[in-house]
Amino acid sequence: MLWYKSWLETRWRFLIGIALLVCSAGASVLTWPQVQRLTPMLTSMAATQFHGAIGEKVREAAAFARTFRGYVWSNWFNQNCVHSVTLFAILLGVAGIVSESGGALFTLSLPVSRKRLLGVRAGAGLSELFVLAVAPSLVIPLLAPSVGESFPLASVLVYGVCTFVVASMFFMFALLLSTVFGDPWRPLLMAVGVAIAFGTVETIIRLQAPAFGVFRVMSGETWFRAGQLPWIGLLGCAAVSAIFYFVAASNLERRDF
Amino acid sequence: MDDRLIIETSNLTKHYDSFEALRGLDLHVPAGSICGFLGRNGAGKTTTIKILLGMNQPTSGVARVFGSTPDAEVRRRIGFVSEEKELYGYMTVEDMIRFTSPFFPKWRRDLEQRYLRKFDLPLQRKVKQLSRGMRTKLSLLLALCRGAELLILDEPTSGLDPAIAEEVLQAIVGHVANEEMTVFFSSHQIAEIEQIADRVVILDRGRKVIDGAIDELREKYCRVNAVIENGQAGAPVLHSPNVVRVTRKGRVLSILSRGGADDVVAEATELGATNIEVVPVTLKEIFLETVNAEE
Repeated sequence: MLWYKSWLETRWRFLIGIALLVCSAGASVLTWPQVQRLTPMLTSMAATQFHGAIGEKVREAAAFARTFRGYVWSNWFNQNCVHSVTLFAILLGVAGIVSESGGALFTLSLPVSRKRLLGVRAGAGLSELFVLAVAPSLVIPLLAPSVGESFPLASVLVYGVCTFVVASMFFMFALLLSTVFGDPWRPLLMAVGVAIAFGTVETIIRLQAPAFGVFRVMSGETWFRAGQLPWIGLLGCAAVSAIFYFVAASNLERRDF
Repeated sequence: MDDRLIIETSNLTKHYDSFEALRGLDLHVPAGSICGFLGRNGAGKTTTIKILLGMNQPTSGVARVFGSTPDAEVRRRIGFVSEEKELYGYMTVEDMIRFTSPFFPKWRRDLEQRYLRKFDLPLQRKVKQLSRGMRTKLSLLLALCRGAELLILDEPTSGLDPAIAEEVLQAIVGHVANEEMTVFFSSHQIAEIEQIADRVVILDRGRKVIDGAIDELREKYCRVNAVIENGQAGAPVLHSPNVVRVTRKGRVLSILSRGGADDVVAEATELGATNIEVVPVTLKEIFLETVNAEE
């Protein structure tokens, strides 16, 4: 029944997330014909009008847009999907027993340990997050034939797993903050702030140290470029998620209500 | 009532930063009793209840319920209604019942049906759409149907109009009359305690000031009124250990005693008091005088 309660509490965040991500994934595929028409113009502009780091980025974007696979990865898996899933991971992670607007004492009066309460909350959230990370991208191989292309299902699953594992870290961070603060807003703002800071730092260091960055792991860049899974990044993120979870459980265990 | 202690605390303290919510509380609630937990707002009643349910950890001391430190297994044997009657606003009445019942193997379907009818609860209405009175009744239903051996109620009638408060109290009394259980309920309404409790614990600023069977308290406590000479200034000091509080209005001296009247009457006579009379006291007087004496 705790699963049912967790579902009721997070279902709107989850359903809105699914709807937005499915629409966004579908739009990425359906705009491919327009992108194809604009790519030659972008390529010539990149060669003549942009210089330095910006020129490099524009040339890279033009290069990605030459193939459907490159365009989908660049536009969807490396941008829209990563950013949206991170946001919804945080949204799914915030709130919980500490900031429950009504019913916290009722929940705590049930014959259930706090560890189990948190475990079910985390389990339900991670299940929803997995669906958010994988399911919307399935629209891509489904819609690709409508624009005369195809996209391998295996790649969708690999990118989905990468997205899920890294997003889990943001989910657990929000969950941890939610055991510290009694309102949902501070955990939300702090977790979003940390995600933005990570993204900004990563954009800056990408030019100097392109091998590092959680969003790089999240987008499955090594799979796209070299067909290799970012094992170290994935294991590192999973380990950090586990640490966040255990700190959250320990916080909740000690907390007075 | 038997000799087993269902609730037992020893030297229980709880600090919130520099605020002392509980100061060495010793509590003993025997099985089968209906124990009223009386105190002013902020006396430490809710803090005690939260510790008994394992929601808060004591700063020091020990709290035991059914002989164990409060944990999930202990809570399986407890029915609880919180002061705010907090429930899940997004669930319907039916959802709340369906959600709660699986946690309690001894859930009483017969009582569930009976209280649904008695309280006239609308099954399909969301909890957030219920009035406070309805929410209290639903909270009570969810507590009473657990098949619990101990019922802990934190200000069960707070915020209710007198008619609904009476209905809730009658439901509690009726339930306890038919089931073998112990009830521990907090209130700052003395009339409520007198109406349904057989024991009372009075708490003041985190410290227990009175603990006992209500009938025994009524027998033990009495008021000695006497008239003294005008010449004496202020209330005289009485040395009897039974004196709780001495007040003087004009020539009339009023002494609350907690151990019979004989030694107080003797001392008053020695002081030259006349027209000495011994009168019984109500629980309200005991509460107010004891709390004021503590101040």
